[in-house]
Amino acid sequence: MKYQSIIVEDLQVAAEFLRKFCEKSGVIDVVQHFLNAEDALQFLKDNVVDLIFLDVEMPGASGFELLDQLVYTPQVILTTSKTEYAYSAFQYNVTDYLKKPFTYQRFLEAVQKVSKKSEQANGNSEQDHLFIKSDGKLIRLHNDDILFIESMGDYVKFITPAKKYITHNTIKNLETKVNPQVFMKVHRSYIVNFTKINDIQENVLFINGNMIPISKTHKSGVMQKINII
Amino acid sequence: MHNTENKIMFAFSEELDTAFLYDLYGDDLQQAEMVFESSAQQIKTEIVLAQARFYDSDLQGLKKVIHKMKPLFGYIGMNEAMEEFAAFEKVCQEEKTAADIEQKFQYILITTQQSLLKAEKEVKRLKQFNTQYL
Repeated sequence: MKYQSIIVEDLQVAAEFLRKFCEKSGVIDVVQHFLNAEDALQFLKDNVVDLIFLDVEMPGASGFELLDQLVYTPQVILTTSKTEYAYSAFQYNVTDYLKKPFTYQRFLEAVQKVSKKSEQANGNSEQDHLFIKSDGKLIRLHNDDILFIESMGDYVKFITPAKKYITHNTIKNLETKVNPQVFMKVHRSYIVNFTKINDIQENVLFINGNMIPISKTHKSGVMQKINII
Repeated sequence: MHNTENKIMFAFSEELDTAFLYDLYGDDLQQAEMVFESSAQQIKTEIVLAQARFYDSDLQGLKKVIHKMKPLFGYIGMNEAMEEFAAFEKVCQEEKTAADIEQKFQYILITTQQSLLKAEKEVKRLKQFNTQYL
């Protein structure tokens, strides 16, 4: 798995170093670099990342002020040249704290912590919700509210009993992001919440009156997943 | 071949924190050259700004500039200078007027000039070394 990250750092030399380390690691993609917290926050309103490399003291808002305003919680690695922020770092539950300048070896230790924390989160089934971008905002959807997800080319439609949400994404991408204990792909255009399946007839299944095809490839997987007595 | 030769032959100047520099750059001396050069350039720019903040008696502004400059010395193996900047940053936080910190600020200016001389010398050495393989 590759982690999607952003760098928020006003010191160009430090940002370049970090970008190079990320490339070298092969597990972190740097999506963007921001010189201040305000621009980063604007980006994060419309985009979801797994990890933020965050400087604390920057012109304008501080790194902690950015964290205060986030509506979701990606992992955070603080990059600062002060040790005085250790207590705040602990309070914000950041994954690691890198004092600039740091070596590649130290950087890798931080990445391992990210990986460990990510595995723990998935293993504990804490993934009981997801955030989607729709109508210019990030919306939290609980797994239990989602009936199924349908492909619409470069977009997907999240169907809940109350509302339909359209967002820019693909079934292929979502397949790896949704909680596999609740969701499964049944067709190249559909991921379903299998706790919501009402009945299955041959190669179709029904959820709340919606007919969803099951492809030949996924049929055996579906049958294994449901509890037939 | 190129990297192997670099790794064996180049030695950072003894006046720098060489152990840390080898950890930081490994055998990537092209990056070392780039970082030394850009750090020196940024230190020159920022120290002018620091002087302006000092003469305006803007101690909080000065503190911010000093904070930004501090890690630049680390990237070029000048940990002592980095520590001096860290100590001065605290002074800016604690003191009230430019007069209170004048002597220490003069010392920071001297440290900066001395560090820049070392950095520029190292940039020359790195350039000379890197270009012989082009």
